[in-house]
Amino acid sequence: MSIEQQYRTRAKELLSAGEVKMVIGYGAGTTAERRRPIFITSPDETERLVLDSACIANLSGYLVTEGLLSDEKRVAVFLRPEGIRALNVLAAEAQLDPLQVVIIGFDLPKGELKSLQGSSVDDFTDLLGALKESTPDVDGRELLEKIEKMSPEERFAFWQEEFSKCIKCYACRQACPMCYCRRCIVDSNQPQWVNTSSHTLGNFEWNIVRAFHLSGRCVECGNCDRACPVNIPLRLINRKMAQEVLDSFNHFAGTSKTQEPVLASFKKDDSETFIL
Amino acid sequence: MTKILFTDKLDSCVERWRSAGMTVIGPVQRANSSVYDAVKSASELDLNLVLTDRSIKELFFPQSEPMLRYAITKAEINTDEFLPPSGPRIIFGARACDASGLAIDDPLFGWDYKDEYWFQRRNESVIVTIACTKADEFCMCTSLKLSPDSTKGSDILLRPLENNKGWQVEELTDRGREAFKSVADLLQEGSDPAAATVTVPEKFNADACAEWLKNPENFESRFWKEISARCIGCGSCTYLCPTCHCFDIQDEGGSFEGIRRKNWDSCSFALFTMHTSGHNPRSTQSARWRQRIMHKFNYFPGKFSANSCSGCGRCTRECPVDMGITETLQEISKLSQ
Ligand code: SF4
Ligand code: SF4
Ligand code: SF4
Ligand code: SF4
Repeated sequence: MSIEQQYRTRAKELLSAGEVKMVIGYGAGTTAERRRPIFITSPDETERLVLDSACIANLSGYLVTEGLLSDEKRVAVFLRPEGIRALNVLAAEAQLDPLQVVIIGFDLPKGELKSLQGSSVDDFTDLLGALKESTPDVDGRELLEKIEKMSPEERFAFWQEEFSKCIKCYACRQACPMCYCRRCIVDSNQPQWVNTSSHTLGNFEWNIVRAFHLSGRCVECGNCDRACPVNIPLRLINRKMAQEVLDSFNHFAGTSKTQEPVLASFKKDDSETFIL
Repeated sequence: MTKILFTDKLDSCVERWRSAGMTVIGPVQRANSSVYDAVKSASELDLNLVLTDRSIKELFFPQSEPMLRYAITKAEINTDEFLPPSGPRIIFGARACDASGLAIDDPLFGWDYKDEYWFQRRNESVIVTIACTKADEFCMCTSLKLSPDSTKGSDILLRPLENNKGWQVEELTDRGREAFKSVADLLQEGSDPAAATVTVPEKFNADACAEWLKNPENFESRFWKEISARCIGCGSCTYLCPTCHCFDIQDEGGSFEGIRRKNWDSCSFALFTMHTSGHNPRSTQSARWRQRIMHKFNYFPGKFSANSCSGCGRCTRECPVDMGITETLQEISKLSQ
């Protein structure tokens, strides 16, 4: 049986047994190459689930949809390792109870579909621990290396060109599972902390505020990068920030559901005398 | 015999227009994204695109536009108005859906208040549209009673030649004729046949949809929740849309000194209808999605006798979760059968 068929059966069983009230997975999209998030609540509909190498979106953000987990019921969700990490970060930041989430795990090493054993975040601890030690496979590594070698002026010019394209559609934020704030700082208008105008300066402000807020929390799922309608290479920022956090604090976001948030925790023996 | 502009003469045209003081604008690539922008020569233009990622509207209604500078002291309040930048422009290589989008929005911007930012730019721009000989699976102008060679909103329509060496020139307005007068000697009379425009299949029945939307019983239909469950509420579909026109007036700076700006806004955002009290009449994404569809295909046509959509397909093409208006209207077409 194909992995897709196995998982459809599993989804059907979970729904039939009443173990979950919903399965969040992938369905066919508008074109042959596209997949889209679908929400299955009846065992009869599980045949609509699709699982293949085009299922790359991180669906964990839907778990924090207002009201979804406010009852005691559980929800199953298709997640890749990045999605499981995101789930851990959400749990560590008290956004949800991971016991309410049944993971249907899979991965796509080199585009090949592979199933992952386990159903609760704790079942994946070893896998995520190993990920921390591995070299991440990022699209655009060459560009990243090129940017590293640039002078500050050149680097500024590079990002200026990129950010000047930003239209402040906030698709990056909306697509990000870690951007769950009920009211984002840029939407807070009493006072208006960050101006809303989408000129180059405003775009810098927005993207830098976001990069800082995601540092140590971003799991590099790529949702923001793929969502950006003007193709700003947000993955490069995410990679850089993740590497900085790893090098400085030995922190890899989302390895466990109780992981201390790196930029929101304070230790008495910390060498710094202040916190931000 | 028709007038023909051969591709190898385009650069001379660009030069001619530029030396006459016109800003020449067209589809170009800018850091991995396509957009309409000013060019110095024809070689910068990317005329092979089905459609630019970003729409033409930003040339008339930019994402952020300064309106006035204010300074408040104990003694007085000073304001300086910013006027829209002035000067003739020629937009070469627009697509029919983009040009139509501008014409769709003209009555809106001129309805109760004449938006001088919009109209000054409209009056100073010549729109040269190239009929489409290719489309992608998201294009749907024909579902909106337009076509790959619609003339709506254009001053000149160019039809690509079958041999790919240039375009037949159709002058549609005085403004278009005027701009092409200056390059008359660069055009040639010829009988080269035009290539067929692309066939864009009809995806839904706009009239049937309008009827369904007008029925008050359907306002609270479960349909809205189901169709929009995956919408994440970003502004991508709004900001890429050539006809979406909502904006927000923002004061940038302090209480006593700053710049008042007109910034794009989107009905997809929760903040769009948030009251000061914290109450939000459109508190769910499905209510916001319904508004988007209702506005485009019910309220707007009710007021201005045209759908607020030209079928460019960008809302579906770029949606991070594979939504967009097409599927919604296809489903409504089915419901209304
Ligand atoms: S910032 Fe981007 S890559 Fe990181 S978790 Fe959010 S969506 Fe994923
Ligand atoms: S998705 Fe891209 S264009 Fe939209 S706000 Fe984010 S960076 Fe800007
Ligand atoms: S339909 Fe798509 S592009 Fe539009 S608001 Fe929803 S998620 Fe964003
Ligand atoms: S609603 Fe969609 S298809 Fe219609 S004009 Fe706007 S972006 Fe294009």
